[in-house]
Amino acid sequence: MNTVPVRPPLVRAEDRLVAGVCSGLARHLGMRVEVVRWIIVLSALLGGAGILFYGWLWVMVPTASEAARRQARRPASPIAPAVSEPADGARTTAAPAFLEAARRAPRLGGHAREILLGVALVIGAIMVGSGFLGADIPLGVVIPIAAILGGATLAWLQLDDSRRDQLVRGAGAGRWAGWVRLGAGLALVATGVTLAISGTQWNVLGLALLASLAVLAGVALVLLPWGLKFWRDFGAERSARVREEERAEIAAHLHDSVLQTLALIQRRAGNEADVTRLARAQERELREWLYRDSRRGGGTFTDRLKALAAEVEDAHGQPVEVVCVGDLPLREADRERTEALLQASREAMLNAARHGGGAVSVYAEAAGGTIDVFVKDRGPGFDLDAVPQDRLGVRESIVGRMRRHGGEAKIVSGSEGTEVRLQLRLQRLADGAEES
Amino acid sequence: MSEPVTVVIVDDHTIFRSGLKADLDERVSVVGEAGTVEQAVAVIEELEPQVVLLDVHLPGGIGGGGREVLTRSAALLGRVRFLALSVSDAAEDVVSVIRAGARGYVTKTASGPEITDAVLRVAEGDAVFSPRLAGFVLDAFGTSAVADDELDRLSARELEVMRLIARGYSYKEVAKELFISVKTVETHVSAVLRKLQLTNRHELSRWAADRRIW
Repeated sequence: MNTVPVRPPLVRAEDRLVAGVCSGLARHLGMRVEVVRWIIVLSALLGGAGILFYGWLWVMVPTASEAARRQARRPASPIAPAVSEPADGARTTAAPAFLEAARRAPRLGGHAREILLGVALVIGAIMVGSGFLGADIPLGVVIPIAAILGGATLAWLQLDDSRRDQLVRGAGAGRWAGWVRLGAGLALVATGVTLAISGTQWNVLGLALLASLAVLAGVALVLLPWGLKFWRDFGAERSARVREEERAEIAAHLHDSVLQTLALIQRRAGNEADVTRLARAQERELREWLYRDSRRGGGTFTDRLKALAAEVEDAHGQPVEVVCVGDLPLREADRERTEALLQASREAMLNAARHGGGAVSVYAEAAGGTIDVFVKDRGPGFDLDAVPQDRLGVRESIVGRMRRHGGEAKIVSGSEGTEVRLQLRLQRLADGAEES
Repeated sequence: MSEPVTVVIVDDHTIFRSGLKADLDERVSVVGEAGTVEQAVAVIEELEPQVVLLDVHLPGGIGGGGREVLTRSAALLGRVRFLALSVSDAAEDVVSVIRAGARGYVTKTASGPEITDAVLRVAEGDAVFSPRLAGFVLDAFGTSAVADDELDRLSARELEVMRLIARGYSYKEVAKELFISVKTVETHVSAVLRKLQLTNRHELSRWAADRRIW
């Protein structure tokens, strides 16, 4: 039998225009979808043979997912589930009964195909039978009803299982009121369609309007509860997803930062300086994360200053307290000068952390186009004139740098500590381009 | 030092309370403790300590934390003085308890002697401003001075004092820098505290609203 190529099973495909029959058939036969579709359409002109063939396949051929589920669920013998079902579990308690109901529900759905076929046959029989009895049912009544039923079935089949469940529950179809509403809606649709079709003999504009209104009202009545519920579910789902993402972000952040630091602290418990430094760095980082201002980018002067202070703090293990009043965006035109101020501040902080031996206070005030930075420590202090000429630290990188960029630097040192005072005027900012 | 200053510690972490108690020196005596808003209100009313060390974040009550304790103990504010304690030096935490009546705040990372000093200062009726609180004040009131004693602006002298405190100066150092007495510095700071508590300055409200305070 190896001459026969293995064909994919005949199932209705998911990429469908109507019911997926053509694309499923094309895949099964190894033909192009367009070709199959044209064949069906053309053969539909031959006395409706194509439509009949299509309908037959639609009813009899399962969709891909249905087929997969059936294969997964159904054991070798089709009798097995039926045999095992009554045997399992006591039915006296509520829980098993509920479970069984849940189990039975999809099975009912699985039989929908046979039911559909049966209904079509019964309707045909009624028509033929009534024809024999002389009560001729006009085609004008049958066609609209068939159209409505066909349309509803089409819509129904476009939904997946969970959506169908939701629709049934959302429309309240399980309750008496739900059935009434559903019936009223369907009746309205039927009235509308009937009017629209039979309207040819009256042909009044008002009637046509009435007909379309009735159709719309009917559809709305049937689908409104479900639509509302769907919309609510959608909103709830979206906000739940946002919350979940936020939680995940927080968890990830805590894991990467706080937990890691705690682990490190446990391992370094003996080294007091290390523990302090770790705790301090973690505190700063967490604070930054918790209180960061999302409206602001990372590009302001104080952001940079705080980042530099954090570097110094990490490098020397001395706390550097930064207090900022006002702020300035870093603008391209002033970049060079503000950068000089920042580097001078950094040098001052480094000196303070190195020689001050204690907490370093940094205060920055940016207002009216002037930036002031003060760096204070409580070290033993030093005499600027006594610093050897070859030591570049203070003289060059603080005082000289500020002068070169049109700023000022003043160092006040005494027995109670040293304060470096830096000032830079940004002329353009004074011209009205201050922070809004 | 004569009589030690009586203190009640309000904090929901037992470990922190006992640690702080051990750190404070003999110039203060801890007479009571509380861990929730309700306990705090009850203990403060019963003991009437000179100073309450009040954590900003507290469970209980209607969720208002330290601020709620302050508003519920408002009748005692003349006799009992509150010093806020906080792990967080976020503006919204600090400024809201100050506005509710606290005489100052210290961060929990401060050392025992520092907190003791702050308690003594508050017991004397002065205000305790950390560099950061001074920074908030400058940010909120603006850094341009006015000559007369307006409630919603800082005077030139008050601005100078605030700036120096923000720069990390102690009260003594501020006094030395400005050639005034420590007592005068304390007066200025108390005046700023009063302004911070009483002002309805438009810019201050906007500043606060930007940061979602009060």
